Amino acid sequence: MDGVRILEWLAPAVPAAAVDWDAVYREEMPRVFSYFRYRGFERATAEDLTSATFEKAWRARVRYRQDRAAVSTWLLAIARNAAIDHLRRSRPAVPLDEASLRDEETPETAALREVQSRRLQALLAALPERERELLALKYGAGATNRAIATITGLGESNVGTILHRTIGALRARWDEGGRQ
Amino acid sequence: MSDDFLSRLREEPRPEFAERLGERLHEIDAQSRERRVAPSPWRRFVPALAGAGLVAALALAFTLEPVRAAAREFLDLFRVKRFAAVPVDPQRLERLAKSGLDFKSLVADQVQVVVAPGKPEVVASPEAGAVAAGITAQQPSVLPQRTELVETTLGRPGTFRVQVDTGKLEALALAAGADEIEIPAFWNGATIDVEMPPVLAMRYARTVDVGDGRLPREDSFLLFQSATPQVELPEGFDLAILGRLGLRLAGMSAEEALSFSRAIDWRATFLVPVPVQGGTFREVEVSGQKGLLVTIQPPAKAAPDGTSRPPRPRALLLWSTADKVFAIQGPGTRDGVEILEMAQSIR
Repeated sequence: MDGVRILEWLAPAVPAAAVDWDAVYREEMPRVFSYFRYRGFERATAEDLTSATFEKAWRARVRYRQDRAAVSTWLLAIARNAAIDHLRRSRPAVPLDEASLRDEETPETAALREVQSRRLQALLAALPERERELLALKYGAGATNRAIATITGLGESNVGTILHRTIGALRARWDEGGRQ
Repeated sequence: MSDDFLSRLREEPRPEFAERLGERLHEIDAQSRERRVAPSPWRRFVPALAGAGLVAALALAFTLEPVRAAAREFLDLFRVKRFAAVPVDPQRLERLAKSGLDFKSLVADQVQVVVAPGKPEVVASPEAGAVAAGITAQQPSVLPQRTELVETTLGRPGTFRVQVDTGKLEALALAAGADEIEIPAFWNGATIDVEMPPVLAMRYARTVDVGDGRLPREDSFLLFQSATPQVELPEGFDLAILGRLGLRLAGMSAEEALSFSRAIDWRATFLVPVPVQGGTFREVEVSGQKGLLVTIQPPAKAAPDGTSRPPRPRALLLWSTADKVFAIQGPGTRDGVEILEMAQSIR
């Protein structure tokens, strides 16, 4: 329709349709936080990095281009850079000693869950950086293989292959640990 | 292969953390607004028409993309008390683009959308739209024959920031062959803030029986009105320099651009690009104010049956009052007289 066509001209240089950034925050913040936890950061550090990610994204949101990447992919790319920067500035999280955790007494369900969580942390911490990054994006942030490929620069099929191989190895170690 | 075990690390962020961070993000916006609103000592506000919006958009709807892209950005910077037409050769800009001049990189990338205006929304009535726009809706008492108000929309406000990059402006001057224009070095990094108010748009339409067994067509007349936008310029920013650069890009010679530049008040005149092919313009009077009536005859397009029929001409009327800017866009029949009569009756 003529009127609509002309009216659309009134929004010049708008890079993308308006985004509900409050909704983006509500939806994506837990995923970003979880990504950092899977990357091996303690809760407090994960919160700091989540804050840094969203503050940076919030200030830069006018530059976000919807036609280039989904907002979740854009946020995870910022989060990934925040993680890399943090690791450069400080020593990486020291891998927990898996063996020392096996003997931990956990009579309560919550405690058992905590132990399992720490076991998984320890397994993840032992992974090479690239594999850990992919798992954090996949399981921490719930990103698709395509989004992970965009964020990391790897090919999508390569992402799938690495993840498949890594999960298989982790599964074996997880089961092995459970039997001991 | 089950990967359930990998979800065992998943945990929700603490609610108090989520709440605190959410508040912090909104504080960022509040601080940013305060910085924008508080006038710094080296700046001053200039009331102006946001060329990136209303008028440039309408005028340029008739022209080719390179013209639109170039002029839309330049026109942000002009203040409106009157309108002046500038003949623009779209083919020249096309040639410049084809020769490697990247308008997007050199011009559009200097413009940052601080608050995107969003798509216009349909409102219940002109009065309802006017309340939301913070203006009084003015409506015509004389309408083109058989037309009636069919829709009112409200364009949301937007804020734009132009970050001046002298290197890019120099590249533009070079491409335009305008080596007589010197871009002041102190401009580099300066910012120009444009606050575009809400725009109320009323669409009046009629159905026209065209005969020959063809479907009737709809004629639309669009009346736009908005408060005067605000453009914040750095102290000492000489708009004439930027204006001359725009004129040279549009195809004027150095002498013509200089002469034109000296003849107008850059802080009060809004330039409307009119394509040299098929475009005409004349100065008119609307309720005691000087306005500009532009008519455009778009080039003929070949029909599927191989015949060529010229599209109907289009017209655009622009004028301003002390605190508002207006535009009417519609069919250019009768040399735009219908539009002019409509404008004259607006109260």
